Amino acid sequence: MSTRARVVQMEQPSATGGNALLVLVGLSVVFLLIVALLGAAKGGGSLFSESNLLYVALIFYAGAGALYMGFGVTGTPRYVKFASTSTAIGLAANTLAVAHRWYLSGRPPFASIYEMLLSFVWAVAVLTLVAEKKFGVKIIGSITMPLAVVCVILMQLLPSEVRPLVPALQSTWLHVHVTLAMLSYAACALSCALAMMFLIQDDLETETFLAWTTAMVSAIYIGIVATRFEKWGGLSVTGWDAKNKTDIFLGRGMRLFVTVPDLGWLFVLAAIGAIVPLALYFLGRVRKEESFFAIANKAVFISILLQIVVLAAFVLRVRDASYPSPDLEGLYPTSLAASPFLLGGMVTGIFASLLYLMLLWRRADLQGLLPSAATLDRVTYKTICIAFPLLTGMIAAGAYWANRTWGSYWSWDPKETWAAITWLIYAGYLHMRITRGWRGRRAAYFAILGFGVVIFTFLGVTYLLPGLHAYA
Amino acid sequence: MAVSVLSIPKRIHKMLANLRTGIVLLILVVIASALGTFILQRSATDADKLARAYSPEALRWLDRLGLTDVFHSWWFMTLLALVSLAIVFVSLDRFPNAWRFYARPYRKTDSHFRSALPTKVELPIRNAEAGLNAAERALKKLRWPVERISYRNEPSLYSERHRFSVMAVYVIHASLLLIFCGGIIDGIFGYSGFMSLERGQQVNQIELRNGKKKTIPFSIKCYGAGQENYADGSPKKWWSKLAVVQDGKEIQTKEIVVNDPLVHQGLRFYQASFGTTGNLDGLKLLATPENGTGREITVRMNQPFELDANTTVTLAEYIPDFFIRDNQVFKRSDNPDNPAFRLQVKNKATGEDAKLWLFPAYGETAQGQKTNYSFSYRDMQMGYFTGLEVSHEPGQWLVWAGCLLMGAGLFVAFYMVHTRLWIVAVPDAKGKLVLWIGGQANKNRDRFEQKFSEVVDAIRAELESTSAGASRAHQEEAELTLATK
Repeated sequence: MSTRARVVQMEQPSATGGNALLVLVGLSVVFLLIVALLGAAKGGGSLFSESNLLYVALIFYAGAGALYMGFGVTGTPRYVKFASTSTAIGLAANTLAVAHRWYLSGRPPFASIYEMLLSFVWAVAVLTLVAEKKFGVKIIGSITMPLAVVCVILMQLLPSEVRPLVPALQSTWLHVHVTLAMLSYAACALSCALAMMFLIQDDLETETFLAWTTAMVSAIYIGIVATRFEKWGGLSVTGWDAKNKTDIFLGRGMRLFVTVPDLGWLFVLAAIGAIVPLALYFLGRVRKEESFFAIANKAVFISILLQIVVLAAFVLRVRDASYPSPDLEGLYPTSLAASPFLLGGMVTGIFASLLYLMLLWRRADLQGLLPSAATLDRVTYKTICIAFPLLTGMIAAGAYWANRTWGSYWSWDPKETWAAITWLIYAGYLHMRITRGWRGRRAAYFAILGFGVVIFTFLGVTYLLPGLHAYA
Repeated sequence: MAVSVLSIPKRIHKMLANLRTGIVLLILVVIASALGTFILQRSATDADKLARAYSPEALRWLDRLGLTDVFHSWWFMTLLALVSLAIVFVSLDRFPNAWRFYARPYRKTDSHFRSALPTKVELPIRNAEAGLNAAERALKKLRWPVERISYRNEPSLYSERHRFSVMAVYVIHASLLLIFCGGIIDGIFGYSGFMSLERGQQVNQIELRNGKKKTIPFSIKCYGAGQENYADGSPKKWWSKLAVVQDGKEIQTKEIVVNDPLVHQGLRFYQASFGTTGNLDGLKLLATPENGTGREITVRMNQPFELDANTTVTLAEYIPDFFIRDNQVFKRSDNPDNPAFRLQVKNKATGEDAKLWLFPAYGETAQGQKTNYSFSYRDMQMGYFTGLEVSHEPGQWLVWAGCLLMGAGLFVAFYMVHTRLWIVAVPDAKGKLVLWIGGQANKNRDRFEQKFSEVVDAIRAELESTSAGASRAHQEEAELTLATK
């Protein structure tokens, strides 16, 4: 009863200003659609091409994300209605894009990292709507929709032409294996989002969220600086062969890197910008002074601005330009498409920080809107109960297929090994929960860790630890 | 002293049967596996790449610790063995209790139990037997199996669904052990290797991973292999036509492709690689007799081809890349882009033995001594080999059985709920007769609450209709008696 009363209370003030965001999002969606339509009309070609459909999906997912976040901030229930409509339209466009590709290639879109992301985003959108309609977790879109947007942006950069299947992929098991993988990964993503919401409902201190968010952003930028910072402040990015739409290779598995001068310093700056609030948080913890947290929150704001500046600079400098390479004489071209993971990392950092701001400003309202902590805890567990058997099936199908293709059902390939690690982590979660009665925070942290490992298995292994599983 | 010696196995058992130990072991497996993916592994990397990546000193230590071959090191195997033992011990420790619960379900409805059960409802009734009958009818309508229990002359109903789901967790753990067993059997008895075949070749040896050769009890003959490409030039299909030959007889033939191996006596032959050998396989020529029409023939090295009853042609020499000095043909390189062929044409009737040279890059027709045939170049076919991956995995069936069992176990464990209902007619706190209905589910309790209230509603409806029917019957009986009076 009390929550309901709170909801009713907060609806009053926002009712007047509630339309501003709707109008804004509506206008931008219409504007972007018109721009896209003009572009498509000018360029000729089919209006219903896959890239156009995907662009429509992107616009509506972004609109839905903005509305879900707006709902989180203002608590206007109408936003959710429009947000889920927007998600549904985005999903329809996404479905058409999948169908289009399926029709063109004559097989399900599971054969490259681009196609996997296409299916993954689709599954995430479906699950978002299911979670909202069936379980009443309305706010979940504010986490999953930005995730979908990041994935669609990533997809714009990845090589997307329909390539014929190499012999090893010509198997029914491809479809079984990848369908199970995408479904289980999407369920893991959902459980992670639910666990985060649980932490909000469980009155986890906002400062702790500050620490985790800034730690993540710091890790992203420190990681980029550690691997890509070159002498005299340059940033090295992969060279891009625009004609063949691939990275430039020096030899087998050796990419050519080019150095963008001075960009490295900006990344160092962004890393410092993210570390400052984290350091302030620890200082506040050690000295037991609350005032440090207030400064840390201001520092997060500066960090977001820095991140946006870095992203803008990165996009402007790297977009279709040529730079010298440390390995070979001469200038070599690069493109945004050559650095999907750097971009993905930066966009993720910005989204994470914005989500933190949303939490910081509207925590009380958010808590009024979310289902109770006990419900979230239970739904998180149920989602993992769905994800785990799917994960098991994915590994088993993969093993069976590997046995028919590589001659061995288990080769300790990095992808296999990390799939097994993911499985073990979720198995550990289930054991602790069922036999030890783990509930609440510990279980929620476990669920978030589990999804972190899933993302590493899905994307990290592909780019860091190449092995047999080279297709995606 | 003897006591402490005896207690060591007991202690080990106690330690391994602890769930905490199991979790620690799992964490160790996770860390070791992660290390095995971050550190370059000898089995998957060239020796010089390893040497480039690590300093000799570091490499020596990594080797000594087994970190360059984590997944085959003794300590990783030990870790997996300990995990298996922990699974066995934990399951053995918990199994008797679970079995007791499974084999002898608690059907009684004593007052102690009734007060302890959290999910329960009491419905007022007039008659114990009629109430239970109504409840039984309602449950049967909802397709619940019903059992009548009589405990201390107190009749009650007991109903349950999916009792077996409480045993699913043991099935899952057993399936994991089954998979491990399969892996161990393959580790001990299994082997894998490589076999390279050219067209027409017959081989009964495989080269194992460690470089040793192994002879198998039959041989594999290759009738051909090839590659098909997509329009963009990327490979679409590799195939090899193979036959199994045992004691000189062909037992089995199959065209294998990637994803579809040949299986014989537990040995599997996979299409793994394909390439050219650099040797010539055949030369396609147009052979035209004097005053006749030509026909296409294919000649192979040193195999005479009969052109007619008297004449044969033989490909006597092939030079992939030739040059001429002092009127002699020499070889310059192995690139087959400027070939030269020497043909030998023999005639039995005239006894002539003519030598001709064919230089396709400089003219289609073969030149040299005069014969009654002329030869022009059509095409040359390079020899190719097909690389077969061979593996023997006698334990794989246990692995697949384990996977299926685990799938079934997980389905039952996660999605089938053991639900129980107890119904008894007892006096309530005020002494009035009520139908006591209690229920329990081992998971998904919120969904069960809904289901439970559905059952209660159905029973209530049944009770009402019975009592209405009963009172109507009572009334009719009364009217009847009135009428007879």
